[in-house]
Amino acid sequence: MSDMSSEHVAKVIDFLRNGRKTEDVSLDDVMRLAELMAESFQSFFKTMDLAIYSELGEMAREISNMKEELALLRLSDMRDEHIPTAGRELDAIVEATEEATNTIMSAAEEIMAADAQDVGAYQTLVSDKVIDIFQACSFQDITGQRISKVVSTLNALDKRITTLVEKLKILRITDVAVDETAAEKRARELMLHGPQFSGEGVSQDDIDAFF
Amino acid sequence: MALDTSIPVLVVDDYKTMIRIIRNLLKQLGFEDVDEAADGTEALGKMKERRYGLVISDWNMEPMTGYELLKQVRSDSSLSKTPFIMVTAESKTENVIAAKKAGVNNYIVKPFNAPTLKSKIEAVFGD
Repeated sequence: MSDMSSEHVAKVIDFLRNGRKTEDVSLDDVMRLAELMAESFQSFFKTMDLAIYSELGEMAREISNMKEELALLRLSDMRDEHIPTAGRELDAIVEATEEATNTIMSAAEEIMAADAQDVGAYQTLVSDKVIDIFQACSFQDITGQRISKVVSTLNALDKRITTLVEKLKILRITDVAVDETAAEKRARELMLHGPQFSGEGVSQDDIDAFF
Repeated sequence: MALDTSIPVLVVDDYKTMIRIIRNLLKQLGFEDVDEAADGTEALGKMKERRYGLVISDWNMEPMTGYELLKQVRSDSSLSKTPFIMVTAESKTENVIAAKKAGVNNYIVKPFNAPTLKSKIEAVFGD
């Protein structure tokens, strides 16, 4: 570029020097000057085009590689299969625990309401209801298996997200402020509420002391 | 002084099973007049129609939480004296402090048992 540019610059300088010798600058002279300047810039832009083209090519290769790596992570499996299945498992757990709780509570309520004066009938009722309670407790085995499946899904999801972050070369993720409606803000805040884990939060004894 | 179990009690919880549990525990303690509401809004409506001797409320409910219900009750001169017990899984210190500041009479952390419920009701009524 530097050679060409010097050459063109020299031509322009010559032209200007020659121009000075003439009394008037003709339209042809102006056209020639413009042509020489365009030639000068053309070589500059040509070099710039090559640099941009090279950059774009590199970006295209990066995007292509990224697409291949994302495909290997099988994220669509997660979205279409694993996460919806985990959701169904959790719904089933809620349903099973609710059903078992209702069965156990109904049995207990029937025992509480029964007439203990008729000893024989009372013993039969208690025995039957105790069996109902034992049977209802079998939900724990099934829900335990369902919970294991959900935990596996969460672990797989965690692994894939971690891999994705590494592939994308995201060294530090900063939370971006998001505009949220009052309803969304309330939903987010309510989501933060709920039972604490053992050892977290305050105990009933601490609360009693506080009151 | 014996606990007055003839008072009407309002149990507020969006989880029907918990209402059933509290109702049965109250029954065991001798409380027969037990009414229920699924959230703060429904509870406030019922409280304006009937004078309850005790409110036992969960915290986390929609659209009106138990905490918001408590504040509404305390700011309404016709309801402000109603004894109010919070029964909740919320055991964070800031929640307990907030409830206390808002005027809750006692605070029970889930899961709980009949003796705990009884002792807190007795504490509220000064027995």
